[in-house]
Amino acid sequence: MTDLSRYHRQMLLEDIGQVGQQKLAQSHALIVGCGALGTVIADSLARAGVGTLSIVDRDTVEITNLQRQVLFDENDVLKQIPKAQAAKAKLAKINSQIKVNAHVTDFSFKNAQLLIEDVDILLDGLDNFQTRYLLNDLAVANGLPYIYGGAVGTTGMSLAILPHSHARKNKSPQSSVSWPDELSTPCLRCIFPEAPPPGASPTCDTAGVLGAVVSIIASHQVAQAIKLLTGNMDRLDRSLLSIDVWLNQHRTLDVSTARNTSDCPCCVKGEFEFLFGQTGGEATSLCGRNAVQINPQKSESEQPNMDLSSIALNLNKHGTFTVNQYLLHGQFTNEQGKNGIPVELTLFPDGRAIVKGTDEPEFARSIYAKYIGN
Amino acid sequence: MQCQVLLFAQLAQTIGKDRITIELSNGATVNEALNELAQEHKTIAQMRNSIAVAINEQYCNTNTEIKDGDTLALIPPVSGG
Repeated sequence: MTDLSRYHRQMLLEDIGQVGQQKLAQSHALIVGCGALGTVIADSLARAGVGTLSIVDRDTVEITNLQRQVLFDENDVLKQIPKAQAAKAKLAKINSQIKVNAHVTDFSFKNAQLLIEDVDILLDGLDNFQTRYLLNDLAVANGLPYIYGGAVGTTGMSLAILPHSHARKNKSPQSSVSWPDELSTPCLRCIFPEAPPPGASPTCDTAGVLGAVVSIIASHQVAQAIKLLTGNMDRLDRSLLSIDVWLNQHRTLDVSTARNTSDCPCCVKGEFEFLFGQTGGEATSLCGRNAVQINPQKSESEQPNMDLSSIALNLNKHGTFTVNQYLLHGQFTNEQGKNGIPVELTLFPDGRAIVKGTDEPEFARSIYAKYIGN
Repeated sequence: MQCQVLLFAQLAQTIGKDRITIELSNGATVNEALNELAQEHKTIAQMRNSIAVAINEQYCNTNTEIKDGDTLALIPPVSGG
């Protein structure tokens, strides 16, 4: 049996105790995205004694990450360590009693189902809505609790999701967390049916981000995860939390009726379009051109053309970009592709983009998510 | 009737205010309020299908009728992380 003495202060909490601590030790959390939110989540869950953590991230550590991504240091930047591996190394020093799996990969519909083997809960450390909808599909289809979090600028949002069993594909859920349908919640798509159109939503790379807001949101996610994993279902925050630490706004929104009044494609209709790869955008390597074409997800509803001039204003903080009547084009100063060549971006008003300087779809998708947003 | 609209996250930042007041006809729905707001504010037009709407801190759908004195809240999803 695991020695639980290091968790003494946590076990003093009446709702956790030794029994709750044992439950944490037997739990397995999947953290998707190991950036600002993901590092705070992984750090806190490791210290709290969650027995197995699996961390998925496709990127390496960069110097501009260190302002807020708490598990990384300058040595990780110098050695260009993948974030999932760097996190695993740090967590091993923090808590040698737990097991950490590092997956240096692009989280996509191709590997999502494989990555949830033995997982009890899904935690969101992502930076784009396309992949969040995939995670939401995965949670609903498999009956796994999913804790959404998002942060940009000085604002953040968090929501715990206990999917309804109606659309579940996996009829015998694997999670140690179980709940009757009357305790289920709306899913992410009940509340936000469509992702913001490309370029319409700020990203941490275009609008900046304050580390403090990330820590608050990630900690709220962690608190909900610990409640669920220790069986404290009745303590779950069932509202949508929205905060702005700069404008001093703290609001909770009652979303309990959102599923009843929505025609949710995911948890009402059971159409897992992101999980089955039917949507979510495509990234295709353009043979022989050292370039990747990105075709973002097309919304069912009509979208106005992208405002290329305002996107160029943001991008010019990161390189040199110009706009003509057909497209935006330019080159990043600090984004290098193969052989150290600066990455070039061409963006069309319908959201299509060509990322030049790489033939790796994952890298091109990462550039798109960081600088255009989707 | 007058309706107070609270703006969250990027909507507050882009529009430069965290609340605005709009004039609506009696019996107007959330959908009609959004039409009105989208005409005035480009960012609301762009984000329209992604914004969650609440009346008096309770999530609602776009067919919901707004009553005199209700407070509307427009909450865009927060994407970064």
